[in-house]
Amino acid sequence: MSSESARLRVDADKQMPGFHLQVCLESGSETLVLFGPSGAGKTTTLNIVAGLTQPDSGEITLDGEVLFRKGYPGAPANVPARKRRIGYVFQSYALFPHMTALGNVAYPLWRRPDRERHAAQLLERVHLGHLAGRYPDELSGGQQQRVALARALALEPRLLLLDEPFAALDAAVREQLQRELRAIQAEMGLAMLYVTHRLEDAFAMGDRLAVIQDGRVAQVGALDDVLRQPANSTVAQIMGVKNLFHARVIAATPDGLRIDWAGIQLDAPPQPAQVGAGVTAYIRPEEVKIIYPDRPLSAAVGLNLVDGTVLESIPGVSFRSLRILIENGFEIEVRFPPYAYVPLRLERGARVRLSLRRDALIVLAGAGQSSADGSVVGLAQTNHMQGG
Amino acid sequence: MNWSALGLSLKVTAVATAIIAALGLPLSIWLARSRWRGKTLVEALVLLPLVLPPSVVGYYLLRGLGAGGPLALVSGGSVLFTWQAAALAAAVVGLPLMVLSGRAAIASVDPTLESAARSLGSSEPAVLWRVTLPLARRGIMAGLTLGAARALGEFGATLMVAGNIAGRTQTLSLAIYDAVQNGEYTKANGMVLIMTALALVSLWAVRRLEPPARESAPRQESPP
Repeated sequence: MSSESARLRVDADKQMPGFHLQVCLESGSETLVLFGPSGAGKTTTLNIVAGLTQPDSGEITLDGEVLFRKGYPGAPANVPARKRRIGYVFQSYALFPHMTALGNVAYPLWRRPDRERHAAQLLERVHLGHLAGRYPDELSGGQQQRVALARALALEPRLLLLDEPFAALDAAVREQLQRELRAIQAEMGLAMLYVTHRLEDAFAMGDRLAVIQDGRVAQVGALDDVLRQPANSTVAQIMGVKNLFHARVIAATPDGLRIDWAGIQLDAPPQPAQVGAGVTAYIRPEEVKIIYPDRPLSAAVGLNLVDGTVLESIPGVSFRSLRILIENGFEIEVRFPPYAYVPLRLERGARVRLSLRRDALIVLAGAGQSSADGSVVGLAQTNHMQGG
Repeated sequence: MNWSALGLSLKVTAVATAIIAALGLPLSIWLARSRWRGKTLVEALVLLPLVLPPSVVGYYLLRGLGAGGPLALVSGGSVLFTWQAAALAAAVVGLPLMVLSGRAAIASVDPTLESAARSLGSSEPAVLWRVTLPLARRGIMAGLTLGAARALGEFGATLMVAGNIAGRTQTLSLAIYDAVQNGEYTKANGMVLIMTALALVSLWAVRRLEPPARESAPRQESPP
């Protein structure tokens, strides 16, 4: 990102019990995903931006206004949280339990004479108009999430912070909320800082990704770039993605997605995607099953069958991994407990049939897509057909 | 039945409760929030009447309120052996109960809710008024009720600073003592019953006020 288009700039340093937080970030009118393992400092970063935690030193500016400055050239500043106009959706939602949904949304509007009407409109915007009189403990998790969002929007924020907003929700509710949040963001031109540890959520919401590890920003970039080209092995490990590949959508129905990975057709769970679009997909090595040639196939592994040859067998204490060259010339990793598949002699050169379990095939669709040329660039993958 | 003693008891308790509320609420807030090291000392001072013998509390008050005592200088003259002294003694012994319960209630309010209120534009007093105190209300009221009940039953310290002057400083608990001393058990019975009834009512009130041990059952997720 060029410095001119940055709306939010964060450069902060804070000694925390157990670790030292040093973050340096820039964000424009977009969604920047803070991604990393728990305890890495993601939430603390949000709190520092919101003004709820004070850094030991640093400089934070939003739309040119200095929110915090200490130990940097220029006049020291620390704008209190209440004057920052930064919306914050907490991981626990933090709805006021003694107020109704309407009361919660009207909370930041106390100076406005039309606060009730305005709050009601915001609740309508998140499709909760009919539940305005309910108290938080009478609402489901997804409904509480919407109230928290409406309340943050009532502030007319310059920036919206979201801390693991979909962590506690089931898949259907999560997807719908993500869709609506994207629509609201586009409508209001909101800059968002979004914390998650789930790659799928990052892809569904984000434009850019900042990988946070041990209190530091390990890498920032477009989602796809970080995924495909981790700056270092630490980032690769945090991203934790093996068996990553590019494919093309060949069919999208309410029953599921069918994608083409360099000649292999695979079925995946349903999700919104355009036929013909390039997508990034992956399957965790533990989810790839090896098929016994002499046993009937169970329904769970009956789809996505792929033939391959064992390239290498790597023994381990708690699991064993295989590198397998599959029929389209790519390589995938399979991982299983040491006691599994003993009757199959899985040595180098052995022929195997695999199931890339449909339910475990994760297709990352969303803003992060860029190239759709079908080329496969994985973390440790090479195309053996082309490469020799 | 000694109606004047009952009336005096109610008056003393009412004034004592007002003092407990006026001092106890800010003290509870401050003790729950402050990180100042010296607060332990203040806390000990406030809670001391809870563990000291009433006669010792009474003695301190006697010296404080007596001629030349620091409290006498503030009040502009001696209030010893008046109903005001009885009210003061009752407030001092009732205050710790209010502070214990109130401080715990305020400290137990989820700090994230207060953070949320700040991020939504509230100043510190507004956070306190609109979020913290409403959420701690039950604990605060329970503490105030316990303090009031304790004030109503005050005996030892009252005896030291207000004496036992019938019609002037003789509260119900003192009158019961007098009645028993004089062998007037019928008279004592009525007053004892009234005191017991008032104590039961306050316990019932506290029970009503204390937050129910609600089970935080996992919420059902329903599509909106």
